[in-house]
Amino acid sequence: MLDGLKNNLRDAIKKIVKSSGIDEELIKELSKNVQRALLQSDVNVRLVLEITKQIEIRSLNETPPPGLSRKDHIVKILYDELAKLLGKESDFDFKSGKQNKLIMLGIQGSGKTTVTAKLAKFLTKQGYSVGVIGADTYRPGALVQLRTMCEKSNVEVYGEPNNKNSPDIVKNGLKYFESLPLDVILIDTAGRHKEEKDLLSEMEQINKVAEPDLAILVIDGTIGQQCFNQAEAFHKTIPVGGIIITKLDSSAKGGGAIAASAATGAQIMYIGTGERIDDLEKFSPTRFVGRLLGM
Amino acid sequence: ELNDKDIEEILYELEISLMESDVASEVIDTIKSDLKTQLLGSKVDKKEIEKFVKDRLISNISSLFDAAGTVDLFELINEKKKTVQPFLILFVGINGTGKTTSLAKVAYMLQQAKYSVVVAAADTFRAGAIEQLREHTNRLNLKLVAQNYNSDPAAVARDAVLYAKSHKMDCVLIDTAGRMQTSKNLMEQIAKITKVVNPDFKIFVGDSLAGNDTVNQAREFFEHVKFNGSILTKSDADARGGAALSIVKITSTPVLYLGVGQEYSDLKPFDKELFLETVFGSLSGVDRKTPKQELV
Ligand SMILES: Nc1nc2c(ncn2[C@@H]2O[C@H](COP(=O)(O)OP(=O)(O)OP(=O)(O)O)[C@@H](O)[C@H]2O)c(=O)[nH]1
Ligand SMILES: Nc1nc2c(ncn2[C@@H]2O[C@H](COP(=O)(O)OP(=O)(O)OP(=O)(O)O)[C@@H](O)[C@H]2O)c(=O)[nH]1
Ligand SMILES: [K+]
Ligand SMILES: [Mg+2]
Ligand SMILES: [Mg+2]
Repeated sequence: MLDGLKNNLRDAIKKIVKSSGIDEELIKELSKNVQRALLQSDVNVRLVLEITKQIEIRSLNETPPPGLSRKDHIVKILYDELAKLLGKESDFDFKSGKQNKLIMLGIQGSGKTTVTAKLAKFLTKQGYSVGVIGADTYRPGALVQLRTMCEKSNVEVYGEPNNKNSPDIVKNGLKYFESLPLDVILIDTAGRHKEEKDLLSEMEQINKVAEPDLAILVIDGTIGQQCFNQAEAFHKTIPVGGIIITKLDSSAKGGGAIAASAATGAQIMYIGTGERIDDLEKFSPTRFVGRLLGM
Repeated sequence: ELNDKDIEEILYELEISLMESDVASEVIDTIKSDLKTQLLGSKVDKKEIEKFVKDRLISNISSLFDAAGTVDLFELINEKKKTVQPFLILFVGINGTGKTTSLAKVAYMLQQAKYSVVVAAADTFRAGAIEQLREHTNRLNLKLVAQNYNSDPAAVARDAVLYAKSHKMDCVLIDTAGRMQTSKNLMEQIAKITKVVNPDFKIFVGDSLAGNDTVNQAREFFEHVKFNGSILTKSDADARGGAALSIVKITSTPVLYLGVGQEYSDLKPFDKELFLETVFGSLSGVDRKTPKQELV
């Protein structure tokens, strides 16, 4: 089925590339195929309808810039419109001479703890000295999970197994690390979603004591249409500055996660591609467009 | 007389509701094409077309859930009890959907119903998995059978079964590591565990926030372990729960429970009517004939 889709889209583009003129029908066909591909990839329905409308309008009305054939121009419009959703590549922008504080947020099971440990190793390898605070007081075994994963890269984890007050733990952790020569402090938090008001207000409290330099929203790559509303609720509680999509080693295309970008204005920075500590990659917008379109 | 174009136009809005509820595209396509075959050529008053098509769609979806049947876990356990053997339940699914938490909820439910329960920590892979389950069993005051990390999951499960037999316990709940259905090795491993342990009942645990991938997960897990039913978690996250329809359509096995929170009691029987209402709005006035009655 997906293969059939891939072929349809490829054919539609080929037809445009081959055709001598560009007629409305070909553009409609391309638009329809793009629509199907994106919907199957879990891209938010409203976003898909907007994008494909733009593709149609622009393809019919814009004059190609000098040097670009009309066909190439249409293919470019297609990539442009998708790339607009994804934004540019972006990376950490750590300030030197201070402890940069990063906090992980996300829905239950999205992969926050795993991402925290992956980043701890990744940044350590880049020469930063890193400390980690485990502030999930809800999930049984959360601290053991974090510690076990961080041991592999010799990163110290601050945690208080018997304290249920997570803002307190964050405060104590920051104090504990204060005198150490660290560049980055990563804070792992409990999973929560937009309907859990108590947990959202806990997050607000954590935000107050942590004063993070960057809040990273960790999104499960298999997520569907509910991503937009969820991301929006997180963003209202703590302004989200970066996004990491996990589980992209799955067969899910990850298009659902794009809505997080649309809802927060934040860029997707990294992707998780497996359970192991090294399964973290920089996000590439062009490769992601290819993945979404199944090409 | 209904033609392709009428149906197509009317279905547009309904299709969007289904998509926005996270029913997989593939499933929507099949449902749509079945509906068309069924309705093409039907004679309907112009003013009634819209209601007619919508009602048929809802009826068809409703029938899919009915065809998947229902399961009474307690009854199955009681049956097995007659043989003086423990009833084995295996939990499977991809990473982070809520297998371990759902297992703890099921354990609690069985405990409330006065069944004795042993838990097997057969996720010997993920960091913290054993401690997570130990904490749950401590809180619930249940026996946990565990070995070290990286030990053979099937051996852990077998240990738990032996324990249950020698202590005349009713149920063994077996937790397994999350795995991507795309990983051939891990899927063969879960198939092997299933063969060795031979569970009486297998539960697929899916995330109700997941989108199109649910069909691939359901299909592969069904192929490898032939699960008997599923639990959809995180339904409290304002999920529309289209995953339920995707799983039922692909496997024709029932959705048993929804996870509706992080407490042990946050497990609710799946409610088809509630699902239909979430997707389509109020059902009052919907004419729900079965397709068969329709032909008369
Ligand atoms: N295949 C795969 N599994 C992943 C990836 N990232 C995380 N996981 C797995 O997903 C599951 C959940 O990950 P966690 O890191 O525990 O998620 P979390 O967000 O911390 O969960 P909570 O703290 O309960 O909210 C675990 O089984 C991880 O091993 C990934 O990129 N690929
Ligand atoms: N809100 C809510 N959270 C849930 C529900 N079910 C599970 N969770 C949470 O989801 C997270 C992941 O749950 P686990 O039970 O660890 O998931 P798992 O499938 O065993 O994960 P792995 O073993 O790592 O693959 C935990 O934080 C749970 O508390 C639910 O129905 N509602
Ligand atoms: K859903
Ligand atoms: Mg965690
Ligand atoms: Mg688990």
